[in-house]
Amino acid sequence: MKWLKRNFTGIGIVKLVIYAFFILFLIIPLLSVFLVSFTNEPINLFGSLISMETLQHTVSQFTHATVDNFKSVFSNGTYFSALLNSLRLSFLVSIIVLIVCVPIAYGIARTKMPFKKTISALCTIPLIVPTFISAYAFIIMFGRAGWVTYLYNSLGGEGFLIDPYSFTGIVLVQVFFFFPYALWPMVATFKVSDVSLEEASRNMGSKSWLTFVTVTFPLAIPGMLSTALVIFAVSFSDFGTPIILAPTDLNLLVVEAYREIAGFFNWGGAAILTVIMIAVAGFVFWLQNHFFKGKDYGALSGKPKQVKMNDNKLLSGSLSVFAGFVVLVPLLAMLTVFMQSIATTWGVDPLPAGYTLNHYKDIFTNSLGNIQNSIILALGALVLSIIIATFVSYFVVRQNSTGLDFMTTVPLIVPGIAFGIALIQTFNTAPLQLTGTAAILIIAYSIRRLPYMVRSTVGTMKSIKGDIEEAAVNLGASTLTAAVTVIGPLMLPGIAAGSILVFITVIKETSITILMAPAEWAPMSLAIFQNILRAEYYSAAAMSIVLVVLVLVLQAIANRFSRKEL
Amino acid sequence: MENENTVKDVDSMGSVVVEKLTKDFSGVTVLQNINLDIKEGEFFALLGPSGCGKTTTMRCIAGFEKPTSGVIRIGEKVINGLTPNQRNCGMVFQSYALFPHMNVFDNVAYSLNVKRLKGSNVLKKMATYTRMLNSRLVKYPKDIEKKVRDILEYVELTEHAKKLTSALSGGQQQRVALARALVMEPEVLLMDEPLSNLDQKLRHTMRNTIRKIQQDLKITTIFVTHDQEEAMSMADRVAVMNEGEILQIGTPTDLYSNPRTPFIADFVGTSNIIPGEMLDPEDGLSVIQIGNQVVKSVSTADKKAVQVIIRPENINVLKEESKEYDNSFEGEILFATYLGSIVRYDIKVGDYTLTADTTYESGKNILKAGTSVKLGVSPERVLLI
Repeated sequence: MKWLKRNFTGIGIVKLVIYAFFILFLIIPLLSVFLVSFTNEPINLFGSLISMETLQHTVSQFTHATVDNFKSVFSNGTYFSALLNSLRLSFLVSIIVLIVCVPIAYGIARTKMPFKKTISALCTIPLIVPTFISAYAFIIMFGRAGWVTYLYNSLGGEGFLIDPYSFTGIVLVQVFFFFPYALWPMVATFKVSDVSLEEASRNMGSKSWLTFVTVTFPLAIPGMLSTALVIFAVSFSDFGTPIILAPTDLNLLVVEAYREIAGFFNWGGAAILTVIMIAVAGFVFWLQNHFFKGKDYGALSGKPKQVKMNDNKLLSGSLSVFAGFVVLVPLLAMLTVFMQSIATTWGVDPLPAGYTLNHYKDIFTNSLGNIQNSIILALGALVLSIIIATFVSYFVVRQNSTGLDFMTTVPLIVPGIAFGIALIQTFNTAPLQLTGTAAILIIAYSIRRLPYMVRSTVGTMKSIKGDIEEAAVNLGASTLTAAVTVIGPLMLPGIAAGSILVFITVIKETSITILMAPAEWAPMSLAIFQNILRAEYYSAAAMSIVLVVLVLVLQAIANRFSRKEL
Repeated sequence: MENENTVKDVDSMGSVVVEKLTKDFSGVTVLQNINLDIKEGEFFALLGPSGCGKTTTMRCIAGFEKPTSGVIRIGEKVINGLTPNQRNCGMVFQSYALFPHMNVFDNVAYSLNVKRLKGSNVLKKMATYTRMLNSRLVKYPKDIEKKVRDILEYVELTEHAKKLTSALSGGQQQRVALARALVMEPEVLLMDEPLSNLDQKLRHTMRNTIRKIQQDLKITTIFVTHDQEEAMSMADRVAVMNEGEILQIGTPTDLYSNPRTPFIADFVGTSNIIPGEMLDPEDGLSVIQIGNQVVKSVSTADKKAVQVIIRPENINVLKEESKEYDNSFEGEILFATYLGSIVRYDIKVGDYTLTADTTYESGKNILKAGTSVKLGVSPERVLLI
């Protein structure tokens, strides 16, 4: 009773509603997918609550529960090889990304590398482009009719330089489009590492390369391993690249899970694959948090230091060439997509046969609906996540709510395809039949992108001192009034910065969209995906360019906001 | 401050009574058996070093902390069960806690807006909410407008009404905070170290300003500070706190001349505190043995081991022996500090170092280190605890 009284205030009710939202749309779906992996058929948890019949059915499902599915992971060759392949892919990608990033990061952080600004700017391209578009760009570069293949053949090579439809193809796309995720943290590590230690080493007679090998590099290792784990997680849960490029004989967890649910309606199989995906992603997240939190040597000293730049011409020159090559690949990929979008036809030639704007005209007459859908869905997700994130950050910062803090971390760990499968299974039947509606799509988007929003709003909330709110309450305002009239307005900059990030990522979102979007709500990403599958490359290219331009514009607005904040 | 009468009609002031207040923070006791009886219209200071519980006591009264046990009353009303927004205690925060997104006028009008939210119809509520979010969209009603104008004039901020608070100086921000707390006509005004963010000179001016406003409005005021000078110069009565307990409550002069513990003697002003042993009284005076010397005092103590307390200004530094003082010692100057109107000497007497203040007379030389001096202290000025 006391508990009820304490929580039955305006703000207490809001907290309960938010908890209910997370339990309903995050915790129960994940739990239910776990249960389905035992029962092998979908269970109706909500139905069991209101109908005796359904409850009995669910109970009988549980009595027939088996661990066969878990056994089958090891006996069924497909699942086991999918797991191994996925792990191999993520492992390779994170190692290669590390190797690629160390010299570039060192170049940006510690040398007078020429074209540093240009290279840094070009590094943002991969972050803007959804992976399935980059994968598709690789097809039109390296594929049978690609210009790279043409150049390679005319230089005397035979067949493909690189076959995009292969394990190597997937690795390359992921390396070239995920490396910025690792680059910036690594640049930070190199920048903050204590220069006086290096000077001490130099002072004791060590040459500069020896200093790098014995002091600078070892100091950066914890930071690099932690970044490698980030790349591992990103690669592991990436759906866009494998779904486009994976050849039929290459099993990957994400693709396999998608096929089980979208192709065969094999609930049990999809569930067990989902459980495996979440387990692996969770383990990686746990590793990162337990072993590397606070062990980043560079982060130990907070004061800014004067960094002495290495001005060895040969070194910085070759670093610049290397970095230039790495950023050139995504740039060329996007240029290729652009060329395709304005080409009349583009066969096995270095350049298109002719140029036209018809594909764009096509899009704006026939596919305007997709653009609208994208914007409406993204706006919906935006509004929902603003409301939730604002209150969540209030509860997390002011009331130390570890429960909500945890709930908003979970979506960071769960791969998109896994979350999608969990939602589909849970909301597949009455009484809460939401699968196939725009509502569940919006909810899925918001939950998946909430961590970004929450991070932004929590930061602003922390900068608002507690006594400001106390002052409002002291002047007679209820907690809710204080939240609306004082805390809310003060949080606007944080909300604005977070919203654009949410909007952009929702427009880019692949896995949830492909899995859950109903035909009448198909957003741009789904339209592009379907065009690629139908080999309608020209309209896919034009639509991709529209999407990228939309994201670019929003990104520019976001940058202006974040600069204002400073 | 010429408009003294404009805000004077505050009639809902009250006494504040705190009984047996205790407060635990996860098992750690931070307040122990706090009893306060603050009269209507009184300026009451809570004085103590940081971490002594003075702010927690005030926050319990404001309602931001829930007492573990004890009763708090304003006037006749027990307020323990009330939320902070129902208590009508105006509070001036240490950091002022002005709303940075509102201008001075909107800051001051906040409590009046909130009052308007209660019990009015939906349309009015909406209008008020909108005004609180952006005052340019919905005009202030006449009564609020007038009240805010009056109080701003009273604290001499009229010309700054439309400025953002961040554009004001520290002293002006302080006055906004004060105006914002006063405009709601609180029964009690709570001030948490309000002067600690100001520079020395401004602090002196603000002391007078606050004291004057308090006198004008006759508003019951509780003032938290760690600065004894502040407490002594402003308050009618002072409660000295340490380690979650109240050590002594009294008027400033009372605390200074009759400190109940060595801690107070030291914290309120400077004191020479020397342990001694009581001997048999002589001629109606207490006699205390300190090392191989004896000190006579008019005050008495009913224990053998006592603390002898002598204020620096009560030690007379003399060139030669004088029969004028019952207590007279020989000493040697260790150190002289020139403080403007007074000169402070550190003087070695036996095993102890005493501090003595003498008024500085221009033209006279300050005694050099190493000079032998005689010290005279009258028994009336020797306190025993």
